[in-house]
Amino acid sequence: MASQAAVIEIIYRALRSLNEELEEEKRVALAPDTRLFGPDASLDSLSLVSVIVDVETAVADELGRAVSLTDDTAMTQDVSPFSNVTTLANYIVKQLGQG
Amino acid sequence: MSNACDKPTLAGQFVDLRPLTPDDAEMTFAWRQGARAILLNQGAQTIEQQRNWIAGRSASEYNFIIETKQHQPIGMLSLSGIDAVNRVGEPGRFLIGDEAAAAGLPAAAEAMKLLYALAFDTLKLRRVWGVVASENRRMIKWQTFLGMTQEGRLREHLFINDRLQDAVVFGLLDGEYRRVTLPRLESLIAAARLPVAPSASSASSASPE
Repeated sequence: MASQAAVIEIIYRALRSLNEELEEEKRVALAPDTRLFGPDASLDSLSLVSVIVDVETAVADELGRAVSLTDDTAMTQDVSPFSNVTTLANYIVKQLGQG
Repeated sequence: MSNACDKPTLAGQFVDLRPLTPDDAEMTFAWRQGARAILLNQGAQTIEQQRNWIAGRSASEYNFIIETKQHQPIGMLSLSGIDAVNRVGEPGRFLIGDEAAAAGLPAAAEAMKLLYALAFDTLKLRRVWGVVASENRRMIKWQTFLGMTQEGRLREHLFINDRLQDAVVFGLLDGEYRRVTLPRLESLIAAARLPVAPSASSASSASPE
């Protein structure tokens, strides 16, 4: 089963890649409680998709399992998986541990 | 020339698309000077040129301002190059100009959903296409995620950001829009409706002393 630390590193790498394209003052902090999407969030739709694509690709390549971050399961959670880095990592680990 | 009054306003849950008018020249010119527009084609050099450009749009084009439900303009988006015979169109001129006002909204996702509904449902187009500068990696990921297919590459086709860049050609067919694009756009919009976990700082500040 994938560790939360490994998944968080994948998310950080996606954020680093995004930051390379953002102006300095708009770069996203690499921290467990960094808000991702929603009110008071760091990312807009375009940036969220950049992170989703990079994370889904890296999870498949490095952890050997496909995970969808925009399917019905993700969108019917009680709390948004995109609330912050930790909630996204927890969601991915949970999905990888199922099936 | 365009008559913006003839064009519809497209209403969404988070944002609306309302017709672009010459009165939007100063605001859209300012957006075009922003860092986020650096990977777009060079536009007007003055506000007056921008006003003339808007006034000179063909009546066949749909040029929109993206605005919040509180009528705060936050960006722009177009559907141009509409070919009624071949039923093809070109979405483009997509720019979120006021990122602060757009924060927390699925503005790009809902704006694209509204524009694609215009293209495929109202105008009955069967294909949309466009080009993205090869250095605009975020937009390339965006279009790919939304189901567009990379159909080719025009070498050194664009002079942007003081250098030549390839243009990546993307295309989307009606069936792909319904099968891939629409569900993904709806997922992104749904993501904005989900309750978010309390932040560590707000959780601690809300805790009793």
